[in-house]
Amino acid sequence: MEIFSGLMHGFAVALEPANLMWCFAGVFLGTVVGILPGLGPPATIAMLLPLTFSMNPASAMIMLAGIYYGAKYGGSTTSILMNVPGESASVVTCLDGYQMARKGRAGPALGIAAIASFIAGTVGVLGLMLVAPPLAKFALSFSSPEYFSLMAVGLAMVVLLAGRSMVKALLAALVGLWIASMGTDLFSATSRFTFGRMELLSGIDFVVVAIGVFALGEVLSNMETHEEAQLMPMPKGVRNFLPTLQDLKDCRFAFLNGSVIGFLVGVLPGAGSTIASFLSYGVEKAVSRRREEFGTGVIEGVAAPEGANNSETGGALVPLLTLGIPGSGTTAILLAALVLWGFKPGPLFIPENPTLFWGLVASMYIGNVMLLILNLPLVPLFAQVLRLPVYALYPLIFGVAVVGVYSESGSMFALALLLVFGLLGYLMRKLDYPSAPLILGLVLGGGMERALRQSLMMSEGSLSILVSRPISAVMLSLAIVILLIPLFSNINAWRLRVLEQEEP
Amino acid sequence: MRSAIRLFVIAVAVTLAPAAFAQGFRPARPVEVVVHTGPGGGNDVLARAIAAIVDKEKLLPVRMQVVNKPGGNGNLAMAYVAEKRGDSNTIGFFTANMVTAYLVSAEAKVTVRDLVPVARLVLEPAVIAVKADAPFKTLADFIDAAKLKPGQLKQSGGSITSRDNVVRQLLQKNSGARWVYISFPGGGERIAALLGGHVDLMVIEPEEAGEHIRAGSMRLLAQVSEKRLPAYPNVPTLKEAGFDIPVVPQIRGVVAPPGTSRESLEYWEDLFRKLTRTASWKKYLADNQFEDGYQNGAGLAKFLDEFTDQMRGILKDAGIKTVR
Repeated sequence: MEIFSGLMHGFAVALEPANLMWCFAGVFLGTVVGILPGLGPPATIAMLLPLTFSMNPASAMIMLAGIYYGAKYGGSTTSILMNVPGESASVVTCLDGYQMARKGRAGPALGIAAIASFIAGTVGVLGLMLVAPPLAKFALSFSSPEYFSLMAVGLAMVVLLAGRSMVKALLAALVGLWIASMGTDLFSATSRFTFGRMELLSGIDFVVVAIGVFALGEVLSNMETHEEAQLMPMPKGVRNFLPTLQDLKDCRFAFLNGSVIGFLVGVLPGAGSTIASFLSYGVEKAVSRRREEFGTGVIEGVAAPEGANNSETGGALVPLLTLGIPGSGTTAILLAALVLWGFKPGPLFIPENPTLFWGLVASMYIGNVMLLILNLPLVPLFAQVLRLPVYALYPLIFGVAVVGVYSESGSMFALALLLVFGLLGYLMRKLDYPSAPLILGLVLGGGMERALRQSLMMSEGSLSILVSRPISAVMLSLAIVILLIPLFSNINAWRLRVLEQEEP
Repeated sequence: MRSAIRLFVIAVAVTLAPAAFAQGFRPARPVEVVVHTGPGGGNDVLARAIAAIVDKEKLLPVRMQVVNKPGGNGNLAMAYVAEKRGDSNTIGFFTANMVTAYLVSAEAKVTVRDLVPVARLVLEPAVIAVKADAPFKTLADFIDAAKLKPGQLKQSGGSITSRDNVVRQLLQKNSGARWVYISFPGGGERIAALLGGHVDLMVIEPEEAGEHIRAGSMRLLAQVSEKRLPAYPNVPTLKEAGFDIPVVPQIRGVVAPPGTSRESLEYWEDLFRKLTRTASWKKYLADNQFEDGYQNGAGLAKFLDEFTDQMRGILKDAGIKTVR
């Protein structure tokens, strides 16, 4: 009942014309910065922060949050159309999204990304509204051993991302882990693999690697086959731009999976939306009946991660608003904004500022509807990019990649790295190494190493801490089960072969 | 938009008009303010807040444009400022962390001292906190417990070269107790580790601790400052708690590129002196529970030299390999 009256109050705040306008401004800006690789929500919010000083805090929060979750909608656009991840959380979307575009299904891919984002985004807000305080307590029981095991589940998914050869996938994952270890070690202040370059002291940004390996690698390897003037088939008619009923049916589980995993991972301050999207992609593939088709353009492979990175937003606001603990760059700057407006985020924030909290929650329901209405009509428009002939499209992808990396890092060294990883991506394609395991190793490597070392420091060097804590033990067992999946399918394949041989 | 631009042009023209008669340097195009973090990092938030105050108080005829040069543990930003030799339109923000980063990484090419000190602005005090239901009521309780169980109590904090660990090193040296220091990259994770009961102690910014204390989930044992903070009149300083160790400041301030002309240096020193006297700045410091750490360029230069020597000694004591 309390929730109901709170929500009614919230809608009264969010439906004020000025707040509706700020909400729209936020989600619109969010969509735009999501589409532009490199320019992310933290940078946008930081730039707009001085403008918000003269605004009513509820309106300002509604707008800034709109940028935050709106960017998750836009992030998929360049992933699908150009294989250039628009945001770090949209890297996984490249795997099946870009393949769908190559098969002429860019429209349905973009459409399902918007629909999955809407469903999971709304579920994320529901979660924020209903279970925020108890869930925040749960998040605190999560510490380094649990994070290690969670990331072990993620890393185990390398077996699901492998192509034809498991050895090649493992090698690629190892390279990813190696790149993740570069930079200054947090625990000892020792430089690792910096090759004497100060630019490498804080390691390599994984967005540079992802854009290099995915986008530049793709451009380079396709330049060899220049016979086609147009890369991708482009169907005519509006109907082909939207997902079919069958597509929606195929994604039923992906919507649920993305919503739940995204929200739960979002609540944990030490995980983040990139991990959420990888996990939900892995889960989707693990339970799918057409597991072997993933990576060739399966629509669930877009819906699950795009859903997860949207419900993650609702989850990430839980520790921020209930405890004053930010879990990511964007929530850290939202926290800074709240402090600058004179609020004191912490355990008493929601009870003492019901107008702001409920206004924000209500505006997020409204904002998600706005985003759906805003994004679906844009689909046919964006898909037109693929009508470009190859000689125009490839330079465009190249340009977007370069601008994206430079605007994020502001350094020429990062551009040199981009080229290096572009070449690496090209070679991996030539030699038939899958690139997803490399990115997975890179995303998880740093956090996993830290979590393991933190755990061992907590337990004074005993590995038993990883199995003596129940949540950690459950997740480690899950990781082992996932590692065994290919074995099961091998056994199944043998069984079928034996059966075939027995029946002459 | 267009009318905003027109207003801006008029404003610039009006403020620039007397400049023709004034002596010395005056920036004529937007000033580039270099910070070493991405948007949302400590220095980035500080720089943007200062840009807003400077704009509000009309201290500068042009805009301050924050430029983020993250990476290389702050070295990239410093190298970027160093490359702008003689450029009067560029300034940079530094923190004490940059001094330590230079001491421990051989890769670093530029130190804060290679740049021209302009002003020290902020001293960030810290407080030592435990979970509210922890058995320790005073810092001495914690130290005694650590002596009884050497290496079993834990503290969460940032990198091993951060101030959190420096405070621990100094306390350990002073008392002979020993406990474990666990690094977490994000501030949120450090607090979560303490509130979840996974570690026993942390050094935290007073403003961050405030709400957790009010909600009854955190308790303070001591404050890392010379005198008691207004917000915590009942919490003893380290010295009052019986631990006479140097108070290691977390400082933030402004530097200019090498080869800056005397006129432009004077201009920037004057600007930041004026800034620290505004009511908006005092409110900003109070809201964030920072201390006014203002020093001019000459004072800052002396401070940095002393601070570097102090840190070198502390890092060596902590067993961290220094390269200079």
